[in-house]
Amino acid sequence: MTGHYTRIGLTERIVSFAVLFLILALILIPYAYIIVTAFKEPGEVFETSWMPEQLSFQAWADVFTIFEFHKYLLNSLIAGLGSAILAVIISLPGAYIFARKNFKFRETFFYLIVGTLVFPFILLIVPITITWIKIGLFNTFTGLWLAFQIFAVPYCVWILRGFFAQLSPHLEEAAMVYGCTQFQAFYKVMVPLAKPVVISVLFLSFLYGWSDFLFSNMLTTGGGPQTASIAIYIATAGGERIEWEMLAVMTLVAGVPPTVVYMMAQKYLSQTFATAT
Amino acid sequence: MEDNQIQQNKNASGIQINRLRKTFLSAGVIACDDVDLNIQQGELLVLLGPSGCGKTTTLRCVAGLETPDNDDAIIVRGRNLTGVAPKDRNLAFVFQTTALFPHINVRKNISFGLNMKKTFGREEIGHRVNRAAEMLKIGDLLDRYPRELSGGQGQRVALGRAMVMEPDAFLLDEPFASLDARLRVEMRTEIKLIQRQLNTTMVFVTHDQEEALTIGDKIAVMNEGVVQQVDTPHNIYHRPKNRFVGNFIGSPPINEFDCHIEDKGDSTQVSSSIFSVPIPASHGEVARHGPGKICLGIRPEFVSIVDGPGDLTGTVKLNELMGSRTMILIDCQGHELRVLIQGVSGVNEGDSVQLRLDLERAFFFDSEGNSLA
Repeated sequence: MTGHYTRIGLTERIVSFAVLFLILALILIPYAYIIVTAFKEPGEVFETSWMPEQLSFQAWADVFTIFEFHKYLLNSLIAGLGSAILAVIISLPGAYIFARKNFKFRETFFYLIVGTLVFPFILLIVPITITWIKIGLFNTFTGLWLAFQIFAVPYCVWILRGFFAQLSPHLEEAAMVYGCTQFQAFYKVMVPLAKPVVISVLFLSFLYGWSDFLFSNMLTTGGGPQTASIAIYIATAGGERIEWEMLAVMTLVAGVPPTVVYMMAQKYLSQTFATAT
Repeated sequence: MEDNQIQQNKNASGIQINRLRKTFLSAGVIACDDVDLNIQQGELLVLLGPSGCGKTTTLRCVAGLETPDNDDAIIVRGRNLTGVAPKDRNLAFVFQTTALFPHINVRKNISFGLNMKKTFGREEIGHRVNRAAEMLKIGDLLDRYPRELSGGQGQRVALGRAMVMEPDAFLLDEPFASLDARLRVEMRTEIKLIQRQLNTTMVFVTHDQEEALTIGDKIAVMNEGVVQQVDTPHNIYHRPKNRFVGNFIGSPPINEFDCHIEDKGDSTQVSSSIFSVPIPASHGEVARHGPGKICLGIRPEFVSIVDGPGDLTGTVKLNELMGSRTMILIDCQGHELRVLIQGVSGVNEGDSVQLRLDLERAFFFDSEGNSLA
């Protein structure tokens, strides 16, 4: 290791650190700015000084009392969790069948499903909104959950099938010799084995539901299950001025749950994507 | 209906495989072509053959992991099991890959089948697991997870999972193929002792002829989906029914010569391009075959180097020490011939030697490769 360092010249080291520092700054300064803004008085937001004159919790209070941001957070949580659970319930057996069973046009069907991932979802917004209004799913959680599946299911099927395909078929056969029906072999042996992957896809589809704006905005309206990302949008659009300090608070708060969930799922995520082929 | 069937066949307590046929449509392969086998209660039958010969498919059909083409192919204890789910067959299967469940510990792996049945109390399950663990010497591994086991330990656990079921038969698919040579030899002896102790029918698949000869009560040699010979290890080795069996069994392999038979009045001669010898009276079948082309096969241990004039001469190409024995490769006018002797070779590479063929122990095959005997 020491030999490695001595071979690199001092100038090169200074340059590389400078570049790294610049990139780091590009990433961290906006964060820092949002955090600082969240603690500023409304009148202070456009001041040139970096630090607030004194810490103000006004924006934090307003966000939760006047704006009732927690209600939107709860909606996001329900939308994200419901969507993630539904996606896994649909994808687990689906991915398993695609990995294990031979049937006509298996590969065709599989790539049709996974291929929808490259489809621009924005094109679906209008037809889905119209359909949802017609069949009574507009402005409901169920409507949101179903809409999120358009992305979540192909993604989950893709990852889960990769996992199931690399497991030895002898495992289910052993389960079936030792007392399991085919379905029991699936949920008593294969599903527990898939735990890290299931947690990973749960996280990813939760994240998608939590932070989605496109569907949430079109498929809900005031009084309905509007999510946190809609609330942030409303905060930028409504009123006589953009309330930057409230926006900063909401951004920070809305970022906490995914971060916490990520830290819980991190171990499984790295397992999943280290073994994925 | 089912009870009647059992009643009818109460004498048949082993496994009968009737004209088993299995075609893999997608690959267009006939894996098993009218396989007929009768395995007695308490017998250890080895299915032996090269890879792709249908031995594993046969075993998987017995276990119910593959469905045979004909629906009366698998009869166990007088009960037609063809079409019955694997879990309802009361047969235990041991896989080459061990196929232990990675997410549960050894104890739970072993008791998995008993727990699934839901007819056994906790005490009974604990008792059976401990007894199997003791027999297999894995008592100290019960709280480990499969990933913490060595190959040999894993296979012991897989055997334990099978034993606690107290099945009608054990089905083992090359269970020791991925173990190192020394361990494989140990496990062989152990599995045979366990089988004797439990007196449970066992079908053991392997491609290793040495393994088959050591553990089998009977060996069924298969090739290209067809059973070539079912016999005791002794007969498989000393009385092969055809050239395939003769060639497949034995290490180093058999010496083969294309010969023709000549009737010389008082004796019948068998001649190849490099030797011509009278056929001993004990091989009457060769004389009965009459003049024509045959194949003579002789195991390397039945060829000897002699001092006086022998049946043929050759030049020593190579001495290969195989522990207590030595394999000598000899060049006989372009034909390679293997000689296996006890102890150390007394000849050097390049020496010219006289060879004697022990024709009493030789095999004679007709032009189709079937034994004349």
